[in-house]
Amino acid sequence: MAAVGSIYTRFTNSNFYQSMHKGVKNFEQSFYNAIPNFQFKNKKTIDTFDKIGQKISSAENRLILGATALMSQPFIDASNKSVDEDTRKVSVARTIAKIVVGTTTGFLIRKGCIKLIKSSSKLENSVDKFGKKIKLDKFNTFFSPKGVKSDKTEAYSQYQNALGTIVALVVMMITNFAIDAPLTKLLTNKLVSKIDQRKTEGKKSS
Amino acid sequence: MNLSFSNFKSTLYKNYGENPGRMLVHTGVLGWILSSLAQISAVLVNDKLSPEQKSFLVPQEFADAAVNIISFYVITNSLKNFASKLVSTGKLTTPHIKEFLAKNNFISKNPNTKDKVGNMDFDISKVANFDEISTDYKNFKNGVDVVASTLGSILSCNIVTPILRNNFAAREQKKIIDRNGYTKKNSVERPRGITMNEFQNNVYQKYSGSMRI
Repeated sequence: MAAVGSIYTRFTNSNFYQSMHKGVKNFEQSFYNAIPNFQFKNKKTIDTFDKIGQKISSAENRLILGATALMSQPFIDASNKSVDEDTRKVSVARTIAKIVVGTTTGFLIRKGCIKLIKSSSKLENSVDKFGKKIKLDKFNTFFSPKGVKSDKTEAYSQYQNALGTIVALVVMMITNFAIDAPLTKLLTNKLVSKIDQRKTEGKKSS
Repeated sequence: MNLSFSNFKSTLYKNYGENPGRMLVHTGVLGWILSSLAQISAVLVNDKLSPEQKSFLVPQEFADAAVNIISFYVITNSLKNFASKLVSTGKLTTPHIKEFLAKNNFISKNPNTKDKVGNMDFDISKVANFDEISTDYKNFKNGVDVVASTLGSILSCNIVTPILRNNFAAREQKKIIDRNGYTKKNSVERPRGITMNEFQNNVYQKYSGSMRI
């Protein structure tokens, strides 16, 4: 192991490595220099960035992902010419159902778990909604990390978000099959029958 | 056990407390991993599949998982790191941060002298009087990180991953057709002889590019 370490040190100290390293760095820096400097001048924009950093947790992130998925994936499926019309119809309906159900459960479970973690990670300075000091017990401090004094900081809120998200992901391994799968099937059926109904009505009117 | 849970909480606090962008990337990757594990377990415990089918489907799911996880991590993390670098080197600033940089001579008044700002090795958070702007800088940087992570996940989950996966699925399908000697068709048709309900069950079981959890 020591021999490998010594070979590595000799290699990184060699002229060849040093000049290669310098070349790569110079290339990176020239590329980076080509990017213009930019300053956000509008106070509203700066405040928005600050708020996004504080308020967007994984739950909101999932909601944004779902909304943008709804704007793109059904159209990709609808324009897929390598499948027949029937399959395409079911595929679009399934995609919409999957996104709607997955986003709804994903958002609600993440939100719920983050809320649960917030209520069970109280600290010495924690107060209730009336500003009264909370009496600590083993349940409301179960997820409190050691050595942290205040729950009012941004860092603590992000910690609660992270832990809540991890718990939510484990919960969703079960709900994915117990809730998402049957709900997706139900919604797909409804969407398919609606598409069929519209088609029949369109044929009748023409 | 108790000590490791305590360590886990402290590690989480240290790593994600001041870095929500990193938290979104890491929990996103964990989401893909657990989602893929759930999918693989579903194949493993499915009684209707023969051991031969399982031996084919499980590696396929692993390959699928690898495509999803790697593309999510590479795209989202690169975009987040790039945005982070723009802020930490002073390329992307607010008036308050720029004023601080000018005051501390990191922006040169002489056009012939190189600025420290914009140099890849420069890091605002490591300069001597950083405390003066620490709150504003951290809030701004966290916001930029979260925006970049979210854009990265949209790009990877809704555009790149479905395309990669479709290519992968098309290649796999071609392999099966070649191996089983099926007649080549121009389009994929709904299987005959099963109900729509059964068909939809099948298509739900078949994994797609969108994250399931």
